[in-house]
Amino acid sequence: MKIPNKTLLIGIGNIGREDDGIGWLFLDKISEQFPGYFDVEYRYQLQVEDAELISHYHKVVFVDAHAGLQNQAFVWQKCSPKVPETFTSHELEPEAVYYLTGTIYRQFPVAYILGIAGKSFELQIGLTDYAKANLQKALDFFLHKIMKIY
Amino acid sequence: MSRKIVIDPVTRVEGHGKVTIQLDENNRVKDAKFHIVEFRGFERFIQGHPYWEAPVMVQRLCGICPVSHHLAAAKAIDQIVGVDPDDLSIPAQKIRKLLHFGQVFQSHALHFFYLASPDLLLGVDADPSIRNVVGVAMDFPELAKKGILMRKFGQEIIKMTAGKRIHGISTTPGGVHKNITAKEREYFLDGKDIPSIHTMIEWSLEVIDFIKKYHQEHKDFLDTFAVYPSGHLGLVNKQNGFLELYDGNLRAIDAEGNITLNDVPSDDYNQYFYEEAKRWTYLKFPYLKHLGKDKGWNRVGPLARINVCSGIETPFAEQERLEFMAMTQGKVNNMTMYTHWARLIEILYTAEMMKNLLQDDDLLSNDLVRKGKRRKEGVGIIEAPRGTLIHHYEVDDKDRITRCNLIVSTTHNNEPMNRAVQWVANNVLDQKKQITEAMLNQVEVAIRAYDPCLSCATHAMGQMPLQLQIYDADNRMIQELIRD
Repeated sequence: MKIPNKTLLIGIGNIGREDDGIGWLFLDKISEQFPGYFDVEYRYQLQVEDAELISHYHKVVFVDAHAGLQNQAFVWQKCSPKVPETFTSHELEPEAVYYLTGTIYRQFPVAYILGIAGKSFELQIGLTDYAKANLQKALDFFLHKIMKIY
Repeated sequence: MSRKIVIDPVTRVEGHGKVTIQLDENNRVKDAKFHIVEFRGFERFIQGHPYWEAPVMVQRLCGICPVSHHLAAAKAIDQIVGVDPDDLSIPAQKIRKLLHFGQVFQSHALHFFYLASPDLLLGVDADPSIRNVVGVAMDFPELAKKGILMRKFGQEIIKMTAGKRIHGISTTPGGVHKNITAKEREYFLDGKDIPSIHTMIEWSLEVIDFIKKYHQEHKDFLDTFAVYPSGHLGLVNKQNGFLELYDGNLRAIDAEGNITLNDVPSDDYNQYFYEEAKRWTYLKFPYLKHLGKDKGWNRVGPLARINVCSGIETPFAEQERLEFMAMTQGKVNNMTMYTHWARLIEILYTAEMMKNLLQDDDLLSNDLVRKGKRRKEGVGIIEAPRGTLIHHYEVDDKDRITRCNLIVSTTHNNEPMNRAVQWVANNVLDQKKQITEAMLNQVEVAIRAYDPCLSCATHAMGQMPLQLQIYDADNRMIQELIRD
């Protein structure tokens, strides 16, 4: 059963590892500003069963920390189905989960990936100043531009 | 020129491991070892923390079976506040058991559908690019759907009892935080939003039928692959010796079925077990003191539990246990691949137990916490999905933890997994000039049967892969396989 007119935000990461928590914090901020407007799910890693979850939505956004961005606060890109070349069952890429949704459930929600730049991922709670600034830029982008689409 | 093979990392296991196989000049296997190369140090860094933090902190050992660590620690902390397992309120016991059964159910479903089924359904020698759960999903979409929904069911049980699916909190010293509401449990009974518990039982029976059919078609493989004698260890019910996952006595048998640990109270584990450290791995080797390190090691987990128990209290699972035991004429089963079958019997058992509990009004009670006289020490032992899990804490007068000892399931299975690797080395790789990927995968098949959680066992965060390397007689690496 599709959940009408709702967008699912999936935050991926671990708030116990500095900037890896940026996806979760993005969801926190959005939920604070727009309570109930989005469905939100927090994940340490994506799992196969997330394919079932996203099959119920029309729109899905995966939000994750990005360690490889150069001179860029975030990246916003369409999520396309992809068969993973290497695989462990405990850490699936958004594209692989999206692929499974199509393969198993024959559903293809509109899906995007929001990768927000981080630089430190050690065992510590709290974002670096660098990641905090990038998180704010990503929020501004999402709220001012993307919400117009939705 | 001799050769040494190293598999690092092992794939589709929880954690990071390495297999090395040393060959001689004639390609004969000289030695084979399964190394755990990560270190975590939970036992050390929890020292100094207040005891009530233990059940919350230690579940960070693992993202797959945090509930097991949460509950084992909770049982130990109960004792520190003076509450023994039988003194816990009945509703608290039942809510904890429901949480535990949900955990075992989802973990076993994860293992079978995502980790084991690619080897079984697609073949151990299938193209590695499709020999994974994606390959299973493409070729067997209906099975994949059921696997996903079974895992989801277990996780929803965890979410209901512990607040969230991973790293939730259910317990408090001497009990549980919250009861279950009628509306919450109806979610699992009426089948409106998710398939009901009755459907879970049906699907569990279906998947056991699958493994029995697979057994008929692949009997030679299952009956011969990685077969070696071993001891078996598990908890059994204190009254009747039946299968027990939450609280019971420790029972061990040898490879012929002779009792080697006769239903001893779990609090006394320290009298019977010793852990040997070896220089080539961080993972210790537990064994029964009175039998010594050569004879005192035991398998733990589904196969061991089915071997040691006297019966199962739920009717469908008991019927399946009897059928399973008939395969060995009632004798001990030392065939590693039967672990998958045993795991499915436990899926059925936990589904039946969840049904019973979900229909029990004690879940709705507010009698949740008991108090007792403060003690300085507590031991909590449960059967985690992968086997016997031991948590032991000592605290000082300021409520700080002064000592922590964890013997996790995969640690018990260290010697058995090494024996499994040695079996594959001797029976599959020995005297082969060319080592193929399919041959190497059989090393992993043997290890995966134990569903090892290496991140738990080494007390590590991060990747969970396996590395295999081949070394020659001069100790030069001549072949390597890395999965991540």
